[in-house]
Amino acid sequence: MADELTKIIDLSTQSNTSDNYLTFIDQLCEHMDFDFASYATMSPVTGSVLGYANYPDEWKMHYMRMNLHRVDPTIHQSARSIAPVDWTRLSRGESFNSVFYRANDFGLTDQGLTVPVRGPFGDVGLLSVTRSCSEREWKLLTRDKISELQMAAVHLHDSVMQSDVLSRALRRPSLSARETEVLQWTAIGKTQQDIGDILSISHRTVEVHMRSAREKLGALTTIQAVGRAIGYQIIYPG
Amino acid sequence: MIYVVDSLNIQDHKGLIDEVYKLRKRVFHDRLGWDVQLENGREIDEFDRLDPAYVVSTDPNGRVVGCMRLLQTTGPHMLSDVFAPILDGQPPLRSVLAWEATRFCVDMNSLDIGHGRKSISYVTSEVMIGAFEYAMDAGIKDAVAVIDPVMNRVMRRSGNAPYDYLGSPKCMGKVTAMAALMDCSPERVASIREFSGIHHDVFAPDLRQTVAA
Repeated sequence: MADELTKIIDLSTQSNTSDNYLTFIDQLCEHMDFDFASYATMSPVTGSVLGYANYPDEWKMHYMRMNLHRVDPTIHQSARSIAPVDWTRLSRGESFNSVFYRANDFGLTDQGLTVPVRGPFGDVGLLSVTRSCSEREWKLLTRDKISELQMAAVHLHDSVMQSDVLSRALRRPSLSARETEVLQWTAIGKTQQDIGDILSISHRTVEVHMRSAREKLGALTTIQAVGRAIGYQIIYPG
Repeated sequence: MIYVVDSLNIQDHKGLIDEVYKLRKRVFHDRLGWDVQLENGREIDEFDRLDPAYVVSTDPNGRVVGCMRLLQTTGPHMLSDVFAPILDGQPPLRSVLAWEATRFCVDMNSLDIGHGRKSISYVTSEVMIGAFEYAMDAGIKDAVAVIDPVMNRVMRRSGNAPYDYLGSPKCMGKVTAMAALMDCSPERVASIREFSGIHHDVFAPDLRQTVAA
């Protein structure tokens, strides 16, 4: 049954790093014919969301900047289902629209499915997959892959839970959206001047946020701050 | 007719779930004498607060006549906790492809013992068909059901015999509880349909989104 899964990296034999989770997500898409996949888990203590995705960078930036993880129904509604949730089931309310109304601009579809996995400590992991195709094709694909998606979801979730990423997430510094954004653009290789132009703010403003971010991360240099922010999964590698 | 109610659509089915809690009180507290928690004439426990899914059977008048509660075995569930003695000291099953069915019951008072639409056998089969089809849609391969020997016999006689049991039957209150294993397969559903003569789609029309098939 696990034909496709055997072609995907076995996280239990790997060190638990973000890179390996991203590789897992990429390979899952490749072998199971999905466009994009993502994984999210909420800390039962702080409610903060930790996630990995292979969506386009521009979408990830938009998602992070708008704090969409706070309302995203693919996360918050699906976490309360015992069965995989086809996104057609999610109520088309304000939350859904705030996440999806601009999704098309970023090459994303609202044709997706989220597999919720509950852990023994009240933890929940959510593996989501999307694909742009006809509805018929989508139904056939998801029906065919559903058990394997369940197994992929539990494998990924258990691996994240057994790593220290969650405990790190609990003590992670709280950076503002602006600070996070400035660090993220820096990680991608933009200069302070570029970042000011992109965000339509002065380079002084960029600098003040950068300085604050550095302090919160206990970093002396910007390079160090970017490295630590990646380590905390506050931003992703450029 | 079968309704699958979970935390995504419970707002639309509040009355139905309230009837489920009342039916469970009549069955598990009044008739079987299980040591269950009551709230205002309803049987509700901590697992009802963990966003389970309910498979609910209603009669042609819309009355709740049968129900079952489903939880993932990867998370908190009854066998890992409340019913652990059944497992003879063994750790519980934990599989993303296995669901746990608990609080399975039918309304013995309003149903008869024949084979018609209002029989215990019909409602038992209908709940089982609904649960297995919902589970199969979710990619689930097996179910572990906590049941009593009466329900076990009803199932064995209705084309739905468990393929095995976990641990051994244990005395809980006035009756015995046991953990039955059942495959969630087209073969089993066909066998239940054959026995019960239920060949139509059992799901309520507004559930098309819940059950993707």
